[in-house]
Amino acid sequence: MTNNLKIGLVIITAIYILLILKEIKRKKIQIALSTFWLTSGILLIIAILIPNLVENITKLLGFEVPANMLFCITIFVAFYLIFQLTMRVSKVYTNNISLVQEISLLKNRVNELEKEKKDK
Amino acid sequence: MKVILIIPAYNEEANILKVYNTIKEYNEKNENKLDYIVINDASTDSTLEILKENNINHIDLIQNLGIGGAVQTGYKYAYQNDYDIAIQFDGDGQHDINYVKKICEPIINKEVDMCIGTRYLDKSSSEFQSTFMRRFGKNIISVLIKLFCKKQITDPTSGFRAVNKEVIKIFAKNYPIEYPEPESTMELLINNYNIVEVPVSMNERQGGKSSINIWKSADYMIKVSLALIVDSLNFKREKRKKNDK
Repeated sequence: MTNNLKIGLVIITAIYILLILKEIKRKKIQIALSTFWLTSGILLIIAILIPNLVENITKLLGFEVPANMLFCITIFVAFYLIFQLTMRVSKVYTNNISLVQEISLLKNRVNELEKEKKDK
Repeated sequence: MKVILIIPAYNEEANILKVYNTIKEYNEKNENKLDYIVINDASTDSTLEILKENNINHIDLIQNLGIGGAVQTGYKYAYQNDYDIAIQFDGDGQHDINYVKKICEPIINKEVDMCIGTRYLDKSSSEFQSTFMRRFGKNIISVLIKLFCKKQITDPTSGFRAVNKEVIKIFAKNYPIEYPEPESTMELLINNYNIVEVPVSMNERQGGKSSINIWKSADYMIKVSLALIVDSLNFKREKRKKNDK
C-alpha cells in the first residue's frame, strides 16, 4: 500500500466514524446497536495503520490473497447483520400488531362510553 | 351462554350489510340472541361508512393487520367482555348463519373446546365444494396435522369455527397471525384440547373478488407447511416444560 493510499483510506474511515458518532449523538441509533458500526470503523483504521496485518492474517487463515479473506469476512458479517435485523423486524412487527389491536379496542370502548353518556 | 360472532371485514362494502341483515333476521327469529362484532381491517373502500351509517357494532383497526390480526382483535374483545363462546364468521357472506346452532352444540354440551364447520365432510349437504387446488392444499395441511397430532382434521383452513371460553383466553393472548387457521388448530391439538368438525354448507362469495390464485396458493402451502413444522417443535417443548413443573 502506498502512503498516499493509506492517508486517503484513513481519512475516509475517519469521516465514516465521525458520521456514526454524529448519528449516535442525535439519538438516531440505539447505543446497543451502534457498537457494531463503531467497532467496524475502528477495526478498519487498525487494519490500515498496522503494516502487514491483513497479509499476516490472510496467511494464518490460509487464504491465497487478502482480497478473498476480506470479501469472505465481509459477507459473513453482512449475513449475520441481516439476520439480526430480520429478527428485530419480526419483533417490531408483532409488537406493532398488538399495539394496533389495543388502540383499536380502546377507541371502540371510548366510543361506547361516549354514546352511553349522550343517552343519559 | 353469551355467544359472539367475530366478523373480520376487509373491503367488504358489497357484502357486509347483507351479513348484518342475516344476523338481525336470525336474532328476530331465535330466542338465543347472538352478539356480533365486526372488525374493520382498515378497509380502503366504504366499508367503514356502511358500518357507521347502519349503526353496526364494530371495531375500526387503525392499521391494516390482515385476517389473523383482525380476528385476534375479536378474540381480545370477546375475552374482555367475558363471552362464553366466540364464533369466527366471514364478512363476505360465505358462511351460513343457520349453522351457528349446530357449530355451538358440541361446545355447549362441554364435549369439545373448538368446533370447526367443515364443508368437505358430507358431499351431499354442500353444494359449494370449492376448487381442486384449494382441496388439494387442504389435504396436504390435513396430512401434516395428522402426522404431528395424530388426529384427522378434514378442513383445517375453515374460517367458520366456534371456541369455548378457555380457548378465547388463549387466542386473546397468543394467536398465530400469519397462518391463523391451520396453526391455531395445531396448537390446540398438541396441547390436548379437543376439536370436532361438523359438516356445514357454504355459499359462494356473493360479491367482491376472492384473492386466491394458483401461485399464491402454492406459496401459501409451502409457508404453512414450514410454519406447522416449526410450531410442532415449539409447542411440544412448551408442553414438556409444563409437565416438568
